[in-house]
Amino acid sequence: MAEIDPITLAVVWNSMINICEEMGYVLCRTAYSEAVREAQDMSTALFDPQGRLVAQGVYTPGHLGAMRFALGHALRAYPAETLRPGDGILLNDIAMGAGHLPDMFSFTPVFHQGRLVAFTGSSAHHIDVGGAAPGSQAVEGIVDTYQEGLRIIPVKYFENDRPVEQVFKFIEANVRVPEKVVGDIKAQMNANRIGGLRICALIEKYGLPTFNQCLEEMIRRSEAAMRASIREIPDGTYAFEDYLDDVGRNTDPVKVRVTVTIEGDEVAVDFTGSGPQTESGINCYINFTYAYALYSLRSLTDPTIPQNEGCFRPLKVVAPEGSFFNPRHPAPGGGRAIIANRIVDCIMSAMSQALPQRAIAACSHFSNATVGGLDPRTGRPFVYYDLLMGGFGARPVKDGIDGIASGFNTGNIPVEVYEINYPVLIERQEYIPDSAGAGKYRGGTGIRKDVRILTEKVRLTCLSDRQRFVPFGLFGGGPGALGATILNPGPNETRLHSKGVYPLLRGDVISFRVSGSGGWGHPSERDPQAVLRDVRDGLVSAEQARNVYGVAIDTSTWTVLAEETAALRAGVRTGGHSGRRGDGH
Amino acid sequence: MRRLGVDTGGTFTDFVLLDDETGVVQVWKHLTTPEDPSIGILKGSAELLAQHGVRFSDVAQVVHGMTIGANVVIERKGARTALITTRGFRDTLHLGRQKRYDLYDLFIDKPTPLVPRYLVKEVSERIAYDGRILTPLDEGEVRVIVRDLLNEGVRSIAVCLLHAYANPVHERRIAEIIKEEAGDLAVSLSSEIAPLYREYERTSTTVINAYIMPAVRDYVDRLTHSLREEGLEGTVYLMQSSGGIGTAETMARQPVKAIESGPAAGVLMAIVYGRLAGERDVISFDMGGTTAKVSLIERGRPHVSDECEIDKIRLRPGSGLPVNVPTIDMIEIGAGGGSIAQIHLGIIKVGPESAGADPGPICYGFGGTRPTVTDADLVLGYLNPDYFLGGRMRLDVDGARRGIEESIASPLGLDAIRAAWGIHEIVTSNMAAATRAVSVERGRDPRDFSLVAFGGAGPIHATRLARMIGIRRVILPAAAGVASALGLLAADVKFELVRTSVARWEQGSLDLANELFRDLEEQGLALLRQSLARGDQLLLRSADMRYVGQGYQVNIPVPSGRLSTEHLAALRRAFDDTYATIYGYSDASATLEVVNWKVTAVSPQREISLPTFERAGRNLGDAAKTARPVYFPEAGGFVECAVYDRHHLFEGAAISGPAVVEERESTTLLLPGDVGTVDVYGNLIVTASMGG
Repeated sequence: MAEIDPITLAVVWNSMINICEEMGYVLCRTAYSEAVREAQDMSTALFDPQGRLVAQGVYTPGHLGAMRFALGHALRAYPAETLRPGDGILLNDIAMGAGHLPDMFSFTPVFHQGRLVAFTGSSAHHIDVGGAAPGSQAVEGIVDTYQEGLRIIPVKYFENDRPVEQVFKFIEANVRVPEKVVGDIKAQMNANRIGGLRICALIEKYGLPTFNQCLEEMIRRSEAAMRASIREIPDGTYAFEDYLDDVGRNTDPVKVRVTVTIEGDEVAVDFTGSGPQTESGINCYINFTYAYALYSLRSLTDPTIPQNEGCFRPLKVVAPEGSFFNPRHPAPGGGRAIIANRIVDCIMSAMSQALPQRAIAACSHFSNATVGGLDPRTGRPFVYYDLLMGGFGARPVKDGIDGIASGFNTGNIPVEVYEINYPVLIERQEYIPDSAGAGKYRGGTGIRKDVRILTEKVRLTCLSDRQRFVPFGLFGGGPGALGATILNPGPNETRLHSKGVYPLLRGDVISFRVSGSGGWGHPSERDPQAVLRDVRDGLVSAEQARNVYGVAIDTSTWTVLAEETAALRAGVRTGGHSGRRGDGH
Repeated sequence: MRRLGVDTGGTFTDFVLLDDETGVVQVWKHLTTPEDPSIGILKGSAELLAQHGVRFSDVAQVVHGMTIGANVVIERKGARTALITTRGFRDTLHLGRQKRYDLYDLFIDKPTPLVPRYLVKEVSERIAYDGRILTPLDEGEVRVIVRDLLNEGVRSIAVCLLHAYANPVHERRIAEIIKEEAGDLAVSLSSEIAPLYREYERTSTTVINAYIMPAVRDYVDRLTHSLREEGLEGTVYLMQSSGGIGTAETMARQPVKAIESGPAAGVLMAIVYGRLAGERDVISFDMGGTTAKVSLIERGRPHVSDECEIDKIRLRPGSGLPVNVPTIDMIEIGAGGGSIAQIHLGIIKVGPESAGADPGPICYGFGGTRPTVTDADLVLGYLNPDYFLGGRMRLDVDGARRGIEESIASPLGLDAIRAAWGIHEIVTSNMAAATRAVSVERGRDPRDFSLVAFGGAGPIHATRLARMIGIRRVILPAAAGVASALGLLAADVKFELVRTSVARWEQGSLDLANELFRDLEEQGLALLRQSLARGDQLLLRSADMRYVGQGYQVNIPVPSGRLSTEHLAALRRAFDDTYATIYGYSDASATLEVVNWKVTAVSPQREISLPTFERAGRNLGDAAKTARPVYFPEAGGFVECAVYDRHHLFEGAAISGPAVVEERESTTLLLPGDVGTVDVYGNLIVTASMGG
């Protein structure tokens, strides 16, 4: 076949990406849960008839990186030749999907003149899929995934563009908030349907042979660009080790060991040496492990390469079967969302040895609590699903970012939306002073959010980390402050465990404290004017400015006291605030 | 009655003087005076009026489209602004919605906030989602805060409390205390500026209002004062982002509602020209130096949305500052004459980076080295190097070709012409995607619309864009270069009022509905009175509705008069139908709820009528210029192509493509098979052949 015309290729490629964005728009606008419609905890993508990823929307990496695996499983259950127009395949199986049951994947074949030409796919985090605790993400007391809720192996939930009623009845009967779950899986089908229409229009215009040739070429070029970008990284083996706090009360830390090997234009990320699979709701199935290893690699290489199958090819991910990063079914995994950032942190830190001007310090952790009970206004069950994100770790050329999702990529849900829809009163949501890792470039601040319960007898599922092991800095940067979960803050406050499930009463206040992120470079090298700005903004105290940054500030005139600062800095150069470094070799 | 439209742009301020009795329009341009645009306005207006023997005292209305609000934000040159908010929520503004606008880029930044964190103050108070007061306002605390802020030299205060859209009483009390403590310091209340739920977006909108208010107020005062000194007795109006106008005094209190006033004027102009050509369903396509803007108009009315975003980074959605005020729904992409072409992954990528006016495209010869859309258009023969801006600037064809050769053609193994074609085709296809986004994604078929093309680069790309999306008819207004100013004069005095109050669409909500609509209508009438609106006053109701449990609404018109049981079913049907049009399905069994109640208060201007051309006994030969080779892949490559001077065309003139029609500010391309005719107003109407 003739060489592809670069102009047609550009047009088709842009169109495929635009289609993913439009699918996302439809999913978000027609969804019922706040997790999807406000936080965009969802993704969209397009695949060729062999199930290879060809384009994706700007959504969350855990779904995006896992989606092609999920489609592969769907096609094993329903071989492509058995599919018909208007089919919708649904699955959430822990091993086939993104490693926990709340993430449901929906795929639809696209036919043009009777031929299968593509698949459209969408995913969404559903705020409840039944199981032991509201939100289906409990950690403690969970020994296998059968406790985590409804398991859907690939099943046709739409046929001929109509809902398969038996499937819907079955799902409705097994989840706590059926309207939202059913509304959202229908919204996923809406997104798929729109994507299919747009693909057909594209094929009408360019013809199927050209369309197919474009898909091949997109994959080929993304792969070539990935390989070229990887080749720029010095060959070598780079390792790092960190620990997850634990997997519930009275459990041990989980070792996270990452060894990244760069060899020419290939990358291997090896989790060998990490802890074994756990008997708790936290395990990281290989699809999710892969998704975040890929995300890390993408952000360390050319970030502008459009993601598709080609980006996967240079990456190999290794984790021994039965280990934490590759558990055997039926290991549970409901709480795996909090591992995402840890994979990124560890790969970043390992790679800081090879790419000191690119890798960033450890980010804040992600806290993903749920509260469930009865809403007194409706008399029906509710599931309050929260997404608390801190900030980006400090970067080699500038500060981290306060309050921007790192790794994981969703938005927050507005306070006003929560209060309209749930029996809660949110009493504060703010940055925590002195929580950012100090450094020449400081980390992002931690975040505090206090939620008061306005109904009787609810259950809180905590899902958090970084309450024992700090988000580390790089190259002399300090660690971010640890996080915490506090019940009824004040003189009689109690500390809750980061992964505990607790019954709460009306009037109780849960105070979530998300960790700060790590700093980069020694704090004594920070521009004193930047320290002054942070002190004036209340993000850094005058004491921390003096003791950690060696900057003396006159808080009545808001000026840096130059002589005193010089003297302080002469003294703190040797200071002991550096974060841990990788043990590369 | 004479009316003057004044549209301030980045380089030029455009003037249109309209005599409503005769329909005669006079146009003029003056360089914009960026340090104080009112200087250029005054000089330009005086020049225009003098040329036609009109005195300022003869002018009944001045309607102004301004860019000062947006510029103040983009350049971060606004007043020192503080924000007062509910205790515990100091960081709502700085935290934002937290999602990344770029998935893999580790070096992204948030936009610089307009208020530093130390000028965000918390007060003790709390209102619940249903408007109940949970914690009364601590007034003493407010007083202390206001005094502190005065000591800090603050010139403007934004107030945004949680759930203030449901109960504005605390915000209003804070405004009173500020007045007591600080006299006429500028105050912006979220419950007045943007009374919609979602606290970050509401706070952002209120803060932008506060941030630009002193600058806009000074500017408007200066402008009004100097026009009065010249003898103006008529009213000064400002264009709003919604496409309505309001008096300068009214708008100076809520300038954020006028932040996209320039683009709105362009859309209204497209409506006027569409109407003159007998089309009420049109797509407005405005392509300038750095961006292209596309907007959908149905039945003569633009779609107005409740949200927009300004100061975006690389035009990425989600990277800028949200502004939730009524705004003509428009998609803006980085596709203009100055958009830079480069190679990425072996394919051509055009924009969003732009060479702007300085250094500009290579062919300007001002030192630009990176090929742009204008360079490609020149190499393809679409632009005449000797007649750019009517010949005031000579374009360097060889330079443009060399630039394209070096940066695009050689690396891709193409010849320069093919590479130039690639740039042209890709930028056009990017605009086609934007056009689909405003039509197909909203459930409309673009083939049912005509395209009205304007802006310096619009007419060159319009016919291909039309063909790409299946539009048959393209309207190219006469004097498109200054026609936005005419759009100002077509704007109605209009105010959009909205209240969030979530209620099921059922019998029990009818009393609430009637009460809310009555309230909003009273407010609307009061605003029309303040704006000295004469003539008819229309009150148009609508409701933003959704299926219970969803998060986004669809706007449904509501009839006037008292709502009763029979309206329940009628609106239900209207909702299901509209929803199905947009999203492809509807759910007749799902419960419906209203989220926002809306009233648009309008005092329509009289319709603009333009003077008609005399049909002189001329023939097309009088308008012919020297033919030149122009690239039409549709005809197999370069063809010797007829060129016409638009200024010498006449009513009834008919031109067959391939052809080029040149005018001072722009150039129109007719593709093979296209037929262009000049209508009685001098507009060029191109009908595409869809055969091939």
